[in-house]
This record gives sequence, structure tokens and C-alpha cells, in this order.
Amino acid sequence: MADWDELREALADYTISCNSNERLRKMQRGWSRTLHFVCSDNGTTFSMEVDRGEILSTPEGHIGIPDIVVTTHSETFCDMFWGDLNPVQKYLRGEITVKGSQEDVMRLDAITYVIWPDS
Amino acid sequence: MADAEGSPHVAVALRRAVGSAAATATSAGLAFAAIDYLGVVSVLAYAPGATAAVAILVGGILVVLVAGIFSELNGLYPTAAGIRLYLGRAVGSRTALSVTFGYMTTVVLVIAADAFLIGAAIRHVLHEPSGLAYVWIAVLLGLALTANLRGVRLAGGIQTLVTYAVLGGTTVLSLIALLHVGGALRRPFDLFGKGAFSGIQAVAFALFLYAAFEWVTTTAEEARTPRVITRALFIAPALIWVVSTLFALALTHLVPFRELHHSAYPQLLLGKAALGRVGELWMLSLTVLTALNTFNGGFLVASRFIYAAAREGTLPRQFASLNIRAVPWLAVTALACASALVAAVVFASGEWLLLVAVGAAIESAIYALGSLSLLILRRRETRERPFRLAAGRPLATLGVVLFTALFLATGFSDPKNASHFSAAPIAVIAAVAALTSGYVMVFVPRLQAAAAVRAAANRPRRRPHGPAAAVEEPAAGSGTAPAVDA
Repeated sequence: MADWDELREALADYTISCNSNERLRKMQRGWSRTLHFVCSDNGTTFSMEVDRGEILSTPEGHIGIPDIVVTTHSETFCDMFWGDLNPVQKYLRGEITVKGSQEDVMRLDAITYVIWPDS
Repeated sequence: MADAEGSPHVAVALRRAVGSAAATATSAGLAFAAIDYLGVVSVLAYAPGATAAVAILVGGILVVLVAGIFSELNGLYPTAAGIRLYLGRAVGSRTALSVTFGYMTTVVLVIAADAFLIGAAIRHVLHEPSGLAYVWIAVLLGLALTANLRGVRLAGGIQTLVTYAVLGGTTVLSLIALLHVGGALRRPFDLFGKGAFSGIQAVAFALFLYAAFEWVTTTAEEARTPRVITRALFIAPALIWVVSTLFALALTHLVPFRELHHSAYPQLLLGKAALGRVGELWMLSLTVLTALNTFNGGFLVASRFIYAAAREGTLPRQFASLNIRAVPWLAVTALACASALVAAVVFASGEWLLLVAVGAAIESAIYALGSLSLLILRRRETRERPFRLAAGRPLATLGVVLFTALFLATGFSDPKNASHFSAAPIAVIAAVAALTSGYVMVFVPRLQAAAAVRAAANRPRRRPHGPAAAVEEPAAGSGTAPAVDA
């Protein structure tokens, strides 16, 4: 089980990887969303504010009204944000659940795919 | 430890959530394609005259059972993965994957069939030579391909409007046709008038009119509440029942069956019989509108499935390639090419009714497998779900038996000659099943092995955490290796 410190570290790395990837920024330039995350094992919650493809912040707790809500284990979140895990495999097995439009769900996965094509 | 899917079904307030009206429109829009007009003619082939209404009603009652079964499955697994996950949990992932690949071929069939039917309808109205129909098919698929590659898709509100316009427009024209002087309803309530099996085959084809309504479960993740999907699953078939029944009765009333039987555009014949040139143009407009739903929904569902399969490692990873608009361009292009190829075969052979038979048989098979999944998952899953089918086990057992029988009824049907049987539909399905199963058994393990090798070659990026690790690791947020561009 990962605590908030571990999650924050993973999120910080993920934010840098996303925001520094030119192709990803161009691809997501029209994508502004609020994402909520829920750790199903320890109840930790956090948010992600994306503005025109740029991750602005990843605060603890739920901020604003979400466009997407992602729920899974805290360890899965950590591995996902470090790029050590292919989220689609977990999603298709029902181990990651998502609330949100299919397009947003695909965009979210596309971020991982563009940054870490071999994850 | 709580599992992600074990979390309680709570209504999450999303900024953009789908409500009952939009979900119902999605369900009805996915089901009511241009091929449904031909589907009604196929029902009429086995249940002539007003008897078709009886077959469509019986089909509708069976679809209520399907709605109940899929509502409970969707309540258990509210995910875009839909049937893939239900079957995976019930009978194993390999079987689920084979079935889902087969199921996706129906999307190609429907896109191809709609392209062909719309092309044929436009050519007919413009009085062009028959060869030009394929030009229209190519133009339609080209437009759909370009729009999809550019990330253009119908906004939810427009999609809802289009669906209700098609359903409403067909209903109004059918009512006008029914009020037309000079027609007559023929052969009411003679369900077995064309032989002992004709009634069963009529019901099987009637079931096809509702086919794909259950795809709305793939939007479960964006529904305002879980009950939104349940409502859509029950209301959409009722709408299709009304429209299909009126259309079948109107055809019976005004257009002789011999004219319908060899026509790829029965709706235009009805429009002309009811209102002359105006009616013909009216029905052509509705036919073209159905393409918006088919091409928008079909391309979207199938291309995203291909993308997910490629990301998962069950299709070559090239299919996950994204263009700068975050569209899986190879998946979309492959779909368009496959649809164009199938449409060309249909165009050259004139076997469009075979597509209806194959589609009807595959849908019956999917409903049988859905029933089987519920039967198995009732034993394994004790979790609360937002919808629980009353008498679920006996009804699911009934579903397995009934839909298997209907699968066989359509699989051996010959819609061109109702008094004959044909192995052509089942042969097409067997070929698709052999290809998908062979692919899953032979190629998927290789792809997965290659993916495992690539993953093993990657050093874990996650840093060890804890007091000891903190001494060695760099400051948080200092970044990993430079991002690799896809």
C-alpha cells in the first residue's frame, strides 16, 4: 500500500515527463480536464488539473467537479505514474475503474503510451 | 484489501455526464441503422404481411430478457470493456477475446452494409448507373475516414437529435403510408404460414432489428448514474419496436413483397408509394442520417477496441499508433479499408441479405453468451449491483437455450428464399470464428511474449521509498530519463 508521499513523488515525476514532452503537449493541446483519483485500498484521494495538455497541479483531496474519476489500488497508481505499468491491461481486467467519457479515458491512456511506449 | 471493482456503486457527479435521454438515443441509434430497413424485409420474407408485426413483438419480448441480462452484467462491471469483461470473468480471457474479435467483425459488416445501402439509395434517387453506387460507397467511407482521422465526432446533443429524427421521420412516413387509400394489410397473424420453422426464423430476424442496442453498456463509465444505462436498455427497444412495427405494416400496406424482395432500398419504395418524389427524398434523407450514427458510433467503438487490444498486447502494437489529434489512425484506416472491401464484395455479389443473416446469427450468439455469463457469474459474484434480474438463473438458462436456437435458425436461413435452408450464413460465421480463434491461440501468445521481453528490458523507473532509500535517491520531481517520443 502506497502512502501519499509515495504518490506525490510519482505524480511529480509524471508531471515533469508529461509537461516536457513536446509531442504530447501538441497532441493534448485542446484537452483541459479535472481528474479525480481514489485509492480503493487506503482511501487516499487526489486531483489533477490539466489545462490545454499541461498538468498544472496534483493536489491531495478532490478539487472541483471532475471530468474523469479513476479508482484503483494506491500501488497501481504509483506504478502507473512511474510508467512501470500498462494501465490498459489493468483496466481490461477490471482492476482499474474509470468514470468519464471514452474519449477522455483514451486520452488519459494516450499520455502513458506517448511517454512510455514500452510500458 | 478493497478491489477497485469492489467499490460501491455510487453516483459520481461528473462535469459531463450522460443522462437517460442521451443514453436511450445512443442505444436506439446504434441499433437502428440503414440495414434495419432490410431487416424488416427479411422478417417479411418469413412472416408475410401483418404477421411481421407479431414476429417483431415476440422479438421485442425476447429483447426485454436481453435488456435484463445486460443490465445486471453492466451493474456488475460498468465498463467500456463490456462483453469482453463479462465473458472474461465467466469463461476465461482467451474465449472472451476470440468472441470479442468476432463481435467486432459485425461492426465492420454493419459499416460496410450501411455504406453499400446508402450508396445504392443515393444512386437510385439520382437515377445514376448501378456502377456508380460503389463510387458513392467509396465517397461515404472516405468522408467517414477523414472525419475520424481529424478527430471530428458528433456532439452528444447532435447524435441524440439525429437518432430521434430518424426514428420520428420513419414513424411519421409509416403512419402516412398506413393512412394511404388503396392499400391492404395482408395475412395477419399467420406466423407459421411459410413452414414449421418460418415463425422461428421470423423471430430471429426480428431480433436483428434490435441488434446492437446493448452496446450502450460501453458508455456506462460516463452515465450519470448506473440506472441510466438500465433505463436506456429497456426504453430503446420499445422505441425500435414501435418504429419497426409501423414500418413493416406500412410496407405490407403499400408495397408488394415481390418489389421489396430484390431491392436494397425498401424504405425509398415506401416513401415513393406514400408521398411520391417527396417521400422518396424524405426516406433518402433519413437513410443518410443513419450513416452519421453508424459511422460515428461504429468507427469509434471499433477503433477504440482495436487501440485497447494493441495496448494490451493482443494486437500488433502498431494499431495503437496515435496521430497528432490522439486518434488511433492505423486502427481507423484499417477499419475503413476492411469496410470498403466487404462493401465491394457485397456490391459485386449482390448478397446483402446474407449480411443481415450473418448479423442476426452473431447477435443471437452474443445474447446466448451474455445469458451464459450471467448464469456463471450469479454463482461467483455476490456483490451488490444496481439492477438484479428477478428469477435470474432460470431466465438466463432460458436465454441460453432460446438464443442458441435462434442462432441456428438464422445461421441456416436463406432470406432470399424463405422455404429453403442455406449453410452460407453459418459458413461465414464459422470462417470468422476459425480466424479469430486461430489468431488468439497462435498469434496472441507470440505478441504477449514479445511484449513481456520488452517490459523486462525496461528498468523499473519507480524509486525505492523509505528512510534508507531517501539517502540515495534524488529529489522528488527531478525527472526520469528524457521522455521518449512515440
